[in-house]
Amino acid sequence: MKNNLSPVTAKPLPQGVSPEEWSVRVDLAAAYRLTHRFGMSDLIYTHISARVPGPEHHFLINPYGLLFDEIDASSLIKIDLDGNVVHNPNPELSFNPAGFTIHSAVHAARPEAHCVMHTHTRSGMGVAALKCGLLPLSQVAMRFHGKVAYHDYEGPAFNLDERARLIADLGPERFLFLRNHGILVACATVAEAFNAMYWLERACQVQMDVLACNAEINMPPEGVPEIVAHSYLPETRRPYGVLEWPAMLRMLDRHDGSYRE
Amino acid sequence: MSAIDTRIEGQRPAGISLEEWTIRVDLAAAYRLVDRYGWSELAGNHISARVPGPEHHFLINPHGMLYDQITASSLVKIDCDGRIVGESQYPVNPAGFVIHSAIHMGQPHLTCVLHSHAPGGVAVSCMKEGLLPLSQHSLILMGWLAYHDYEGVALNEEERTRIVRDLGECRLLILRNHGLLTVGESVGEAFVWMHRLEKACKWQISTLSAGRELNPLSDVVQKRSVEQGLAMFRKGGPYACGREWPSLQEELRRAGSDHWQ
Repeated sequence: MKNNLSPVTAKPLPQGVSPEEWSVRVDLAAAYRLTHRFGMSDLIYTHISARVPGPEHHFLINPYGLLFDEIDASSLIKIDLDGNVVHNPNPELSFNPAGFTIHSAVHAARPEAHCVMHTHTRSGMGVAALKCGLLPLSQVAMRFHGKVAYHDYEGPAFNLDERARLIADLGPERFLFLRNHGILVACATVAEAFNAMYWLERACQVQMDVLACNAEINMPPEGVPEIVAHSYLPETRRPYGVLEWPAMLRMLDRHDGSYRE
Repeated sequence: MSAIDTRIEGQRPAGISLEEWTIRVDLAAAYRLVDRYGWSELAGNHISARVPGPEHHFLINPHGMLYDQITASSLVKIDCDGRIVGESQYPVNPAGFVIHSAIHMGQPHLTCVLHSHAPGGVAVSCMKEGLLPLSQHSLILMGWLAYHDYEGVALNEEERTRIVRDLGECRLLILRNHGLLTVGESVGEAFVWMHRLEKACKWQISTLSAGRELNPLSDVVQKRSVEQGLAMFRKGGPYACGREWPSLQEELRRAGSDHWQ
């Protein structure tokens, strides 16, 4: 199977952009478009950030003011961990420094998590507002069982103190519920982050549907959610999202390949 | 042979019998329709079909391909243990096929096994009482419906026996805390069963979500409706599932689908 059907770009890469950076830019722009296509975007708000390969600890993030379905590879803004702009092709658009506070905190604390994705979806916010958090009701939710962290809401403005608490709450996990706010995933690649967010969202949708019904719940047998969660760990079977990613890009390409520009 | 049939027949590769090619086109159509109707989950889950003949060979989706890209020729032929038969340019994911092979081997007269995580079905699968006798739509299915308790992701030999036993002569199976499964003597039959079952589940969620007192149906009405459902949907009966299949294929044709390639 031909694993990557991406058309080879005929255009030269923008100045100062390595092939490795360009590849992350294309993946990240695709993640923004997919987030929009799958109904997980929130106008121009929330972020997906990705680390630029190399020793510099630079990150790519969305220009504040573009809808997720407008973002392309070259429009992403390159910044450092302190939020200084390294490269911005559209100076009339900046990034949202408040939002990046969460992302930069996670990137700094978890250098292996090259992609951090945050959403404000109806179901994700719904579960984030529930005291019980995510319940292992369905198989899709069980894959996250015991692997989800929670961070209490302190208000929209992030100060430096809260960054430390957020990181302490996240600990070694990859999935974080920002209580009364939304959900966040921190994964090794853009592909894995999108995939994890897709499944976490599905798990939240099922839970909100089930709880809305107020019917007696059939809980899975004791011990089973732990076994399911273990079987979905990246090191147990495969890093979920990687195999699916070329197909996700082909889906975008069939409809609108302009994210690659 | 109609114009569409001639076109499909014209695509048949050398070395594939007309019988196998017909099943391939039907199965590819089912993947496309499952996606169109919103029951797919990226590249996850399987719909499998038995290849006509004595060999116990089956067709399944190429691993990692999204449902809206699957074509008749990209489906992979495997044996009951999930091993690829002959040559394929695509890999397969044998994990979930264990459920399918158990049913295919236990009930050889069934052509198709369709498993989905359709949203309504997953939510109802988490409810202790399962599908409730709330509406005509659910009651007429109940004589055809069975349940299988959740045991975890990996199916062992013993669970294979239990799943075949639980399905029995039914056509619809709610996999508790997991999702839905339907079977049919044709691909079209399995698809239409899934359509009916998911619709009944979605209606149940809407009804229960309203949080108001339910309008109960008497035992007499319930019993009569279940019996009527058994008569309506019996093989050769007036509502036998699958009559809709040519129209569903026409829906795909009008949408410009290339699944028959």
